[in-house]
Formats: sequence, C-alpha cells, structure tokens
Amino acid sequence: MLKYLIKRFARSLLTLFFILVIVFVLVRQMPIEGYFPNFEKMTQAQIDNGLHQMGLDQPMTVQLAEFFKGLLHGDLGVSRVYNRGKPVWDILKTKIPISIQLGSLSILFSMIVGLPMGIHMAKRKGKLPDHLGTAFIVLIQAVPAAVYYLFIQLYGTELMQIKLRFDPGDWRSWILPVLSLSLGNIAYYAMWIRRYMVDESTKDYIMLARIKGCGEGRIMFRHIFRNAFVPMAQYLPTSFLNTVIGSIYIESLWSIKGMGGLLVDVIHKQDNNMILGIVLLFACVGIIGLMLGDLLMVLFDPRISFARKGGD
Amino acid sequence: MKKALAILLSLMLLIGLVPAAVADSGTLTTYYSGEVSTLNYLVSSTENDQVVGANIVDTLVEYNTLGEVIPCLAETWESSEDGLTWTFHLRKGVKWYNCFGEEVAELTAADFVAGLKYVLTAKYESAIASNVFTAQIVNAEAYYNGEVTDFDQVGVKAVDDYTLQYNLANPVPYFVSMTTYGSFMPVYGPLAEEQGANLGVDNQSIYYCGAYILETFEPQSERLYVKNQNYWDADNVFIEKIDQLYNAEAATLSPIAALRGEVDYADLDNDILDDWRTNHPELITQARSNLQYSYFYCFDFAPQYEEEYDPANWVIAVNNSNFRHSIMSAMDRLYGMTAEADNPENLLENTITPPAFASVNGKDFTALPAFANIDQYFYNTEKALEYKAKAVKELTAAGATFPVKLVLTYKSNDSDWANEVQLEKAQLESVLGTDYIEVILYAGPADNFLSQTRRAGKYSMQKCNWGADYADPETWTDPFAENIDSETGLHKGNSYNFIDKMLDTDNEETKAFLTAYYAKVAEAKAETNDIEKRYNLFAEAEAMLIENAIVIPFRKSIAGYQVTKIDVYEGEYAPFGICNLKYKFQHLQDEFVTAEQNEQSYQKWLEAKTK
Repeated sequence: MLKYLIKRFARSLLTLFFILVIVFVLVRQMPIEGYFPNFEKMTQAQIDNGLHQMGLDQPMTVQLAEFFKGLLHGDLGVSRVYNRGKPVWDILKTKIPISIQLGSLSILFSMIVGLPMGIHMAKRKGKLPDHLGTAFIVLIQAVPAAVYYLFIQLYGTELMQIKLRFDPGDWRSWILPVLSLSLGNIAYYAMWIRRYMVDESTKDYIMLARIKGCGEGRIMFRHIFRNAFVPMAQYLPTSFLNTVIGSIYIESLWSIKGMGGLLVDVIHKQDNNMILGIVLLFACVGIIGLMLGDLLMVLFDPRISFARKGGD
Repeated sequence: MKKALAILLSLMLLIGLVPAAVADSGTLTTYYSGEVSTLNYLVSSTENDQVVGANIVDTLVEYNTLGEVIPCLAETWESSEDGLTWTFHLRKGVKWYNCFGEEVAELTAADFVAGLKYVLTAKYESAIASNVFTAQIVNAEAYYNGEVTDFDQVGVKAVDDYTLQYNLANPVPYFVSMTTYGSFMPVYGPLAEEQGANLGVDNQSIYYCGAYILETFEPQSERLYVKNQNYWDADNVFIEKIDQLYNAEAATLSPIAALRGEVDYADLDNDILDDWRTNHPELITQARSNLQYSYFYCFDFAPQYEEEYDPANWVIAVNNSNFRHSIMSAMDRLYGMTAEADNPENLLENTITPPAFASVNGKDFTALPAFANIDQYFYNTEKALEYKAKAVKELTAAGATFPVKLVLTYKSNDSDWANEVQLEKAQLESVLGTDYIEVILYAGPADNFLSQTRRAGKYSMQKCNWGADYADPETWTDPFAENIDSETGLHKGNSYNFIDKMLDTDNEETKAFLTAYYAKVAEAKAETNDIEKRYNLFAEAEAMLIENAIVIPFRKSIAGYQVTKIDVYEGEYAPFGICNLKYKFQHLQDEFVTAEQNEQSYQKWLEAKTK
C-alpha cells in the first residue's frame, strides 16, 4: 500500500507540474490591455515599464523558471490587482478557513439528512416516503440553484429577522447559507444511496441472508448499506473538498469572505499570481480528494486492495 | 441569469413582501460589489480606488457644487506671466493623521513633491503618471523614462513649507484643473519612503489629511470611513460615518436592502425600473448628469477584420465624403438611444465636447460660432438619399461594390448596446436600402473588449467614448491625435478611427482634410494667452470632424436612477479629476430623497449654475 501511495503521490506531483505549466502559459496569452485599467491613456513607456515589472518581457522559459523557483521557496508572489501588493498566500489564508467552516457544516448537514433520507426511501421503495423524496430530488435538480438560493435568502432572513448579509459572529447567520449549500448535496446523497441500496437489495447474497433468517435491520445496514456506500465513499472526499473550495453564488449572495468566485474574479482582473496560487490550491485539493477517495474505498470494501495480485 | 434574478426581485417587491424601515442617521450605509485594488491614490486610475483617495486626502484645489474652482489645500495660487510657473500657497495647520486618528505631522509643500516623486518613480507603476506628462511639468516624463535621474531637475519645488511651485515646459492654461487628479496629491514623505511599493496595501500604510479617515478596511467585507474631526474644513463634512459593506450581488440586492432599511443607497437598473415605477415611484431619483464621458460613433479607416466582410471595399467607401454623410444623415440617433435610455432627448449631443463642459466669456463651448450650423448634418432622410445617390455614382467609379458591408460592433454582455445596434441596423438599412449597405452586427468579447474590437481595428463603425482629462476643450481632440511610429516615421493610427494612417496613402481627399484638421488643432494648442481665441479654434477643429462626417456625436453619459438618502446636487461637480467622488458638502437625510425633492434640487442647481 505504501508503495502504491508513493507512486500515486509522484504521479500527482507530475500532474500538478503540468497543470501549473499549462495555466502559466495560458494566462500569459491574455491581451496586455487587461493588465492596465488605464491602458487608453498610458504612454508606451508606462506600458513597457508595467510589463517589465511583471516580468512579462522575459522569455517564457525564464518566467517559468522564476515562478517555480519562488514556489519551491513557498513564495507565490504578490497580488497585482485583487489586493495590490499583498502576498497571494496572505490573501488565500484568510479565505480558506471560512470556506472550510462553511463547507464542513454543509457536508455534515447533507450527510445527516441525505443518507437517512436515501435509506428510508430505499426501504420504502414505491411508497409515499419514496415518492416524496423523489419529488424533493427532482425539484432540487430541476430548479436552478440560484433561484432557490435567492428565495431562501430573502424569505429566510425575513422570517428569522436577520440581515441580508452574512455575519460570522451571529450563529443564526450561518443557518441559511449552510442550508442553501446543503440542498444539492442532500438530494445527491439521497438519490444515489437509494439507487445503490435498491440495486444491492435484489442481489443473490441478500436473498441468501434472508433465507438464512437474518433480521431486516442487520441485512439493511450490515450488507446493503455497507455495499451501497462503497461507490459513495470514493466521491465523499472530493465532494467535501469541492464544497470547501467554496460556492461561487452562495458566498457572493451572502458576502461571505471565502474562496467562492475568487478564481473567476482574478481571471477577469488578469491577476496572474493570484490565478496561479488558486489553481495550485484547487489542483492540490482535487488530487488529494481522489487519493482519499481511493483510500476510503479500501476501508469500506475489503475486496479492494492496493497490493498487486499474483497469477496462478 | 442576473436579469432573471432582478425580475424575480421585482416580482417580490410587487407583491409587497418586503417591509420598509428607517436606517440609522449619521451613518451612510451602502453595499458595493467592486473591491478596491489599493488605497494608494498615487498609482491607481480606477474610479473604485479613487473614491477612497478622494475622501481621505485633499487636493490643492477642489470644485464647488456648481463646478467652480475653490481653494482646498492651497489657499491662493498664481501663474507667471509666461504661464510656465505656477505657485500655490498652502493652507497652514493642516495635519496628517493615521487610521487611528492620531496626529502624525503637519502637511507641507514637501509632501506634494514627495507625492510627485512617487508617481514618477517607474518601479511603483503609477497608472496615472501620464497626467503629469500631460501637464507638461519640466522633465517629468524624462525622469519616469530614466533619462533624467536627479529628481531635483523635475519641475516641482517646495519653496518653503507653505509654498509649492511647478515649472512647466510649455504654457498649460488648464494646469489648475489637473491638480485635482491623484497624481498631484500629497503624501507624507517619510511614510512613502518607508512603505515603498506597499504604500496603501491596507489602511495602516497610508496617512490621511482629508475629510475622512478609513477606520476599517477589510477587503471583501467592509470599508468604514469616519469623519476626520480635525479636518481643516470639518464644518462642511456632514455625514459622520460611511459604512460600505461588500456584497458581490450588490446590484441585485441593494434595492431590496434599501427598502428593508439596511442600506441608504441603491442603483436601480433598467431591469427593475418599471416595477419600481409601479410600486415606489416616489423614491426614484436620478443621478446628476455626468460630463466626464462623451459618446460618439467612429468610422474605421483601416479595418482589420476578416476578408468575408470585405474590408478593402469598406476603405473605398469610408474615404468618400458622400458615403459617410449618407450614413450620418440616415442615422436617427434618438431611435437607437431608446434601447438604453428613456430620456434620449436629454442625452443627445451634437458635438463631441459635451455641453456645459467649458465656457468662455459666459458662452458655452458648444454654442461657439463654429457650431452654429452643425444641426444640418444630422438625421434627415431626404438628404441621406441625396448623399446616397452621389456616393453610388462616385463609389462605382472608384471600383466599390454594393451593398457595402458595414461591421457594427457592440459588447456581447451589454444587452442595452445589443438592442441599440439592432435598432440602428434596422433603421439604417430601411432608410438607405439593403442594396446600398449591409449592416453586420459583430459581438465583441465581454473581457478586453476594446483591445479585441476598436483598438484592433475590427469594426467599420463603433460607438466609442472619451473622458475629459482636464478643463480645456483640447482634451476632446486627444482621441484623434496622430500616432507616429518613431522608428519608421509612418503613422500607426490612432486607436479611435485610424484616420491618420491615410496620411501615408495616396488618398488625396482624406489627406487634404487631415492636413487642414491637424493644422487647426496645432494652431489652437499654440494659443495659450487668448482663451477665447483658443476655444474658438478648438471649436472649429471639432466642427471639421462633424461637418466632414468623420465622427458622429451621439450622447453624454447616462445619469442612472437610484434610491438614496443623499441629495446628489450638494456634491462637488467636475467633469475631470476626483472631486466629484467626494462625500464632502453632502447631507444624509433620515428618509429617502423623493422624486419631487430630486427635481426641485435639480431646478435649483440649474438655476444657480445658469447665473
């Protein structure tokens, strides 16, 4: 397993390197006008000076070497537009914890509600709870998220007598953004756990367990749920980390100082160092998520092993 | 999606689900969606950033609500007879404070020198250094470019603590107006030295001598301005606190937050305006007309677009005066404008320079004799067809083919603009006929729009705009100035219509026009003593562009609708610089300004301004 992890880690580093190189080269293809808000009224000397200060007048290989040299020293550079002069990491480090808090609460809430809901739907397949649950899932998936986000914000704040803006110091202020962020995941977990559990419950080993006289509760949780949860388990870390990365619209609507929308914002502003810092972060999150997903699958399903199988 | 959400919000307002409430008095609370990039007013050119600078640091002079220059940090000023030296006598006893309101030092003339040195230091990348070049301060550009290394050779000097002197290479009659830009603001010298490029990274790395102190600066969260109680003109600062709260969806949520009493100001976008007119007509007020920008249509004389649109054929057509006049006369500008404004008559301009921008001896620039007969060149379908007939004959002889393809460009994410060009296409083609022109609508990208369209020459005709840089009509000639490659000596083309490139061709008609036009502009620029003569010469030059249908004037900036507790007519008024971004002189009402109050204030302001 350790050997597998080391190999996987090395491959991940290589992937990370290629992602950074590609993004680095791509952002440098953007029009130079975007670097200068006052482009129209600047002299050529001002523009040339700006490009020089950014290092954009250097050959691409030199720029790349400088970037990776800085990266190896833990230096992501400073923001040029988003928060001019401030180190990229100083900006990101204040935002990540907020998104982690919000994302963690959302995932926790989604699991607490979504998994029992899916299990209950599977147990009552074709009956009222199943129909109600399906209706909820269809509703959440059919209605654009932005619409119900807005409804929750406007009517929820009205009902709770709180302000439209998020206030981290007021616990009541957390409820509606977390609820909004969770709805999609609740529907997702409920839908998939129901589907996997329904699939598992028709398999032969379940019939055998029933014939052997196992109780329904034991069959449901020891066999069906455990097996149905395996494909979910692989998705969980990525789902968690994606939620941590932030929800663009939720964070925008509620003015939450997290990561949501940050990448889009800095791309619009052509803040190269910020773009690369965030891409690095997101790529790491994605890679770690996939690795953790694999590990979780091994934990939940004893049939899966990282060890190489020998032939006869 | 944003439009849908805006409509959704309007429906909610319609069914009255949101109760009104009263905000705290003394604190102006607003939402904002665009965060400032830096607090360093010496480097930033964006209005977002400049709002901060305008309210925390003062300029040498400022403007009153009627647009007249009044003393600010300078109590008096004068220029030498030759117009090359400007001396400002500073107010005594003005102090610098830190963000905690603690006094740091007295403001002296040396702080203006330090400010200019910072702006001209290339490594700090000031985007507004070009304002200093425009002001023609001796050796300013040379110092920026590294050709002069001793700052003492730059034309700015602290004669003593309270006397500041600027030396200019050439007389600049509008110099005083240029001092209202960030590039002429003071900075506490030792702080600028200490902070270097980090000046203004946060509210602790900048000092304050203006009406407000930025007590809290948390990007993507809050900006809290608190009145500087020791401000030299504290009696004219009426709003105690300004609390600006970040919300990325401020445009959508501000109107509803205003009705809930959570904010005291909100812009009302066109999408929700009709619903507001139905439900809260009494709260809709209009912003004060902004003279900062003028909009006009340009023809591209050196198109760079794809062959399928036949740029070579366009070049033949656009160099024909009758062809240009046929388009200009066929264009019903008011009709096109209805796509983005409900009061086009108030916005229409027949000159590039906006009315009320400048005046001489009590006469508005746009009313000078050169513009007396300018109306005859605009919308007139009969004349358009006459021009068409002549153009067809001449262009056929010149080898052009019909219909001439006219690429009309707009920004893809601007729905109003998209509607406007649709109307213009329909209107031009119906008047002139599709046998004559084929208007092709071309949607430019949302990001880097200008570099992909106008500056790249990818259009035949495009709505362009220009903002004034100083209080002189010369500023409106800048977009059409010659742009010459220093190495080849050939014209690279100005980025507005590339017409100067025609000087390097054998197109005699356009060359003759350009020679006369540039000579007129040069003559006007050279006239620095007799302002009336100067203005008349600039008016004649501008009229040449219009009479020859090189440029089609369109409109001034649209004054948007809003719901606010501030009377906009109390604020400083200037079509350049940063003074109009100040909160000084303005009162915060307990209740929202009503439409009636807004109209009364406008009439009162107009009356005072006319006097």
